[in-house]
Amino acid sequence: MNAELIKRLADSRKRLAVQLNHSSHLKKEAEEGGCGVVGFCCSEPVPGKHIYEPSRQMHNRGNGKGGGIAAVGLVPEQLGVSREILDSHYLLHLAFIDTKVRPEIEAQFVTPYFDIAVTGELDKVADWKSVPGLEVLPPDVSRYFVRVKPKVLDEFIAKNNLQSLDRGEAEDEFINQNSFALNQKYYASLGEKRAFVLSHGRDIMILKVVGFAEAIVKYYKIEDLCAHEWIAHQRFPTKGRVWHPGGAHPFAAIDMALVHNGDFANYHSVSEYLKQRHIYPQFLTDTEVSALLFDLLSRTYHYPLEHIIEALAPTTELDFDRLDPEKQKIYRAIQATHIHGSPDGPWFFIIARTLARQKQFQLMGITDTAMLRPQVFAFCDGEVQVGLICSEKQAIDATLLSLSKDDKRICPVADRYWNARGGSHEDGGTFIFNLQKNAAGKYRIVCTDKFGKPVPIPGGTDSCDFSKEPVAVSGNGVPTFESLRDQLPQWTFDEFRAACRQITEAAKDPAKTAAAIDVLTQLNDKRYPTAAKRRSHVLHVVRTELNRLFASLPNVAATDARPGAFRLIDFETRQHLRKPQEGETTLVIDAAHFAPEGDDCDAALLVDAYMKGWRHFISFNCIGQRYIGCGLGPDTDDVNIEVYGSSGDYLASGIDGMTITVHSNAQDQLGQIIKRGKLVIHGDVGQTFMYGAKGGSVYVLGNAAGRPLINSVGRPKVVINGTCLDFLAESFMAGDPHQGGGFVILNGVKLDEQGNLISLADPYPGSNLFSLASGGAIFVRDPDRTLVEEQLNGGKFARVTEADWELIRPHLEENERLFGITIAQLLTHQGRQRRPSQMYRKVVPGSVAAIVEDEADEVTAEAMEMAAK
Amino acid sequence: MLDARARPAAPEAGALPISALLPENTLKTRVPQEPVERVTRPAPSRYRNEIAKYFVHRSQDCRLCGKCTEVCSYGVHAHPSGYKYFGEPLHHLCIGPSCEKTDHYCVAHCPNGALQVREDPMYQVLGDARWSSDLILATWKMAETGDVPPAGYDYDYECGKSGGGFDRLRFRFPDRPPVALRADEIDTSVCLNKRGDGRPKITIDVPWYGGGMSFGSVSNVTQLSKARAAVAFNTFTCTGEGGFMERMRPYDDHVITQVATGLFGVREETIQRVPIVEFKYAQGAKPGLGGHLLGDKNTPAVARMREAVLGISLFSPFPFHSVYSIEDHMKHIDWIKHVNRRALISTKVSTPTDVDMVAVGSYSAGTHIVHIDGGYGGTGAAPDIAKKNIAMPIEYAIGKVHRFLSDEGVRDKVTLIASGGIRSAYDVAKAIALGADGVVIGTSEMVALGCVRCSRCESGRGCPRGIATTDTELAAKMELDWGTQRLINLYSAWRKVLVSILQRLGLRSVSELRGRTDLMMHLDYTNNGAKTA
Repeated sequence: MNAELIKRLADSRKRLAVQLNHSSHLKKEAEEGGCGVVGFCCSEPVPGKHIYEPSRQMHNRGNGKGGGIAAVGLVPEQLGVSREILDSHYLLHLAFIDTKVRPEIEAQFVTPYFDIAVTGELDKVADWKSVPGLEVLPPDVSRYFVRVKPKVLDEFIAKNNLQSLDRGEAEDEFINQNSFALNQKYYASLGEKRAFVLSHGRDIMILKVVGFAEAIVKYYKIEDLCAHEWIAHQRFPTKGRVWHPGGAHPFAAIDMALVHNGDFANYHSVSEYLKQRHIYPQFLTDTEVSALLFDLLSRTYHYPLEHIIEALAPTTELDFDRLDPEKQKIYRAIQATHIHGSPDGPWFFIIARTLARQKQFQLMGITDTAMLRPQVFAFCDGEVQVGLICSEKQAIDATLLSLSKDDKRICPVADRYWNARGGSHEDGGTFIFNLQKNAAGKYRIVCTDKFGKPVPIPGGTDSCDFSKEPVAVSGNGVPTFESLRDQLPQWTFDEFRAACRQITEAAKDPAKTAAAIDVLTQLNDKRYPTAAKRRSHVLHVVRTELNRLFASLPNVAATDARPGAFRLIDFETRQHLRKPQEGETTLVIDAAHFAPEGDDCDAALLVDAYMKGWRHFISFNCIGQRYIGCGLGPDTDDVNIEVYGSSGDYLASGIDGMTITVHSNAQDQLGQIIKRGKLVIHGDVGQTFMYGAKGGSVYVLGNAAGRPLINSVGRPKVVINGTCLDFLAESFMAGDPHQGGGFVILNGVKLDEQGNLISLADPYPGSNLFSLASGGAIFVRDPDRTLVEEQLNGGKFARVTEADWELIRPHLEENERLFGITIAQLLTHQGRQRRPSQMYRKVVPGSVAAIVEDEADEVTAEAMEMAAK
Repeated sequence: MLDARARPAAPEAGALPISALLPENTLKTRVPQEPVERVTRPAPSRYRNEIAKYFVHRSQDCRLCGKCTEVCSYGVHAHPSGYKYFGEPLHHLCIGPSCEKTDHYCVAHCPNGALQVREDPMYQVLGDARWSSDLILATWKMAETGDVPPAGYDYDYECGKSGGGFDRLRFRFPDRPPVALRADEIDTSVCLNKRGDGRPKITIDVPWYGGGMSFGSVSNVTQLSKARAAVAFNTFTCTGEGGFMERMRPYDDHVITQVATGLFGVREETIQRVPIVEFKYAQGAKPGLGGHLLGDKNTPAVARMREAVLGISLFSPFPFHSVYSIEDHMKHIDWIKHVNRRALISTKVSTPTDVDMVAVGSYSAGTHIVHIDGGYGGTGAAPDIAKKNIAMPIEYAIGKVHRFLSDEGVRDKVTLIASGGIRSAYDVAKAIALGADGVVIGTSEMVALGCVRCSRCESGRGCPRGIATTDTELAAKMELDWGTQRLINLYSAWRKVLVSILQRLGLRSVSELRGRTDLMMHLDYTNNGAKTA
């Protein structure tokens, strides 16, 4: 768009603001915390009830003082309009806090300007108090399908000199300014808020309440309303008394809805930046400002999405250096122009929008450069595709589970789960699910990153038909993992399910229970060839059977229980907790229905059970339950906990002696202040892993997210087979590794779907490796020497000596035993066996660098070796 | 499905024995708790020639007649028996020229005019505007005697000389109390748990407790003295962030474990041992800066306790890396509540302009105590550029938070504790009248132990007076019994002053004083001739 036109648009907004007497007072209404955000899209429209479960799942990320949802890609018949009207008309959602103002608002802001195709009031529950999770009476909402009257639009264009602007864009702007005026008159200028615009865009609607988000689904009776995209938000405002939902998310701009998890540090700067462009916030939260910002960059400046994202989350430091020079030039210009409008501090946006002209929908998640908020992406491929973005993995699980109950083609286990690396040169910290029609006219989802690069989704074409119940094959033995693994490629899904079912049947014999659990656990944890079968479906089969096995174990409450070592306890029977009796060794806790925290959580039950004498635990069916393994106190060497499902934050924090094994990805804040013991994660770990840890032996199969092992002291010994996002072991103070101090081994490898070991291109892509550390060491497997000085901040590279290798080898041996990643494989590069010193690099604190061998010696040694050949 | 709000009411945890709430292996490490008597005893200065307000000069004209020893009732003129000459006068006992009005003024009695009493030049350079020399000397006197300093010394210990903050606030004492109350009728206790959540309703006998000072920043003896004084007055002391000394364990029931951003020395066990756990997000003296223990003070003992490398500077990051939002904070609190099922949670924050929102947010995240730390506090280790220059003055912050909590309807569900520059019982009363439930003290305790506010806490081997040091030689300059007694004496004196303030105002308890700004005036804003203290 040319500068002159942009100026005219800005001027028109200025005139409006002056006319409406908009005050330039910009103070945030309330500090807002992280909140919980969730968004998902589906290649087929799915009903609103599926946003219910993930929203409920995120209760503990909100405080019930604000919730909202948005739906994009609706079904015309359900709204009583034609496809043509849904596509072409603006869907205006007005909220009336004071229902009396409706006629006057319609007379002022609706009927004079718009041709109304269809209008109506949203249905609602008669008694709002009957809906749990609502704090105050939600507003009445009216829906209008409108186009601007041609004559009105002509006048608007003439008045503002916008003749050269595309007529459609002029109409967008009219809608935008009309909503601004309405909000100003009935919301922003009043002490007493009376009405406001919820959303204004094509094929998009927003609803908000004071309460929890899921209450919306019930109150406005939209359980069955279908849409391609849903986003929801649980708010945690710090103001206690909230009496209207204006400040709740999502916030709307033309054709888009945005939810936000975080809190800007520079709200004023961003507001000033907007003010200079004659854009004025009315709801005084940083989320509104975010929506305005995105809208400005997109609708006024016409930036392509990549550049919008760059303006929001600039690429910096090493990542900037790694961009190609052309891109650097553009990015530098964007940063120079928009850095004051770039939100600083923790934030994570989920945006759903309609690309009306292209008849496409987008759902995207954008994370800030410092990655201070948690985020997980997931993709479920198949006949029905689902893309998901959430603050916590259990919200993804809850969504998929809810969807799969309705549609057996959707597998509750996604094909891929991943995190974005904010402001990175690799993915730009953003992923976008694009819903566009294929040749057959059906919507399909393509997931791309900031740069438009498609996200690879693991192969596998065969799906399992989950609508059928498996039938066990005959026999009552438990086969070995190896035999199952070897037969799996030849088997059909039905045969595989039958084999697994037979294992759970065999487990009913107490003598075989342990072996059955072991085999299914190995099937769950390990990677092995599945031929054309989707691995996600294989996993779902295994996990279903495992849960079935656990759930069928004798309950502690049962009076005539079978003998056996395992005893089940669940939410219903939690009051029956008792001492272990003769022969009972393991308490199996069904975590479902337990609160994620508080006196009634499963982790508290586990402590109680420990106090009654139980020492071995299995926790399954977890959906975000926190603090597992915490609170048992010192000297717990005889305790062992196996965790299945989506365990929650703070798992294994503070443990002192016990062993915890997590049979899936784990969440944030794992192993805080861990003192002693062993922690094994068959997957990834989230943010601030092992913050302030004092010790422990820890093995992670996958990646660690941002800020692992910060401020660790003492003697933690950690093997991370994948990579870390940034700030690995900042301020590490764990003494001298050769005198019992701590260290981290970062292998920079991954196992692919078929179990092959693959070296990552960058073992450590971020900055600030071992920065400001004063003790300990990092061993990075980096045969290509990709790590550079710039990634260190105070640390120094040093040579890996024989003594170093002797030090770390036992840990790699244990790693081999746990995950099957052999030392031989780790020492192989480009098909050749190398010396440890060629494969690994050591980073030591700058303060001790003077007394260790310089890494340059290694280069010399290598050169001599080459020369000798 | 279980609705978060429809959970069955938690059992009254306060009614359960600790054994039902803590795992045995933690209980096993519990040692018998040691009582400390609340008795005031004289605890004179550790130095023979303590810094004093007045200086007694004996000239060569002295003929050793002994008249001065005879008349002086304060014992300034020491003449040990068997010695021919006088010792150096004990200046700190002298009440100064005001003695002239009495019949025992040594200068007047000296037949040879050999004596002179004048202001000690040391007095003139002691302290600073906030901690005036009078305030320091009065605090010493209180720590020595356990009582209000005798009027003769003419110490101005109600205010400092900063010309701002609490120093511009005065109580409007009525000419006569509206109700006549005996001292023993007045209640100075504060309940720290107002949530009604089933956790113990811990009540402290005086409206203050000791602030967090880590082992590393202060000596073993200093920490233990604080703990023992806390036991005597049924209040608390805080570990600070350097960990929990084994020697503190007999006082567990009066210790607050601090969980600060460096997480140094924090273990499940140290969280489980104590009745209160404090999250330190920031310090008012240096908001936006984390803790920083210079390498020199990282002695072998400190390094062992913190499990860090000897002699290396130890940084605590500014934020908790795991907490970037209010719901992270809630998660953090829930964690500690889970680990210690009887603990109350305190959240210590500094005072940014939106401290009111932070306070309400902390409340909704589940904290029992909101502890706001203003900008006047801080020892020598806090950078001068930060002290007093970043955080909001505490007297503004208290009112702001108190009002906002009241407006939000939660004021009576959370305990508001203020700190950062509380120097005297008057400051305690002012903070409470502004809206706090109680205060946390730090520097005053150091002063009671002999601190001269030289602001050299952080350098080299640390405190020259052996208070804020971990150097064994320096730390040996103070004995535990003496340190304990000094603090017990200070607490007693403060309590007496506080009771007398309440008596003069006709209030039966400190809780009645809370938020009574109508009983105060600000010198800059009112001048209606109301009688001030």
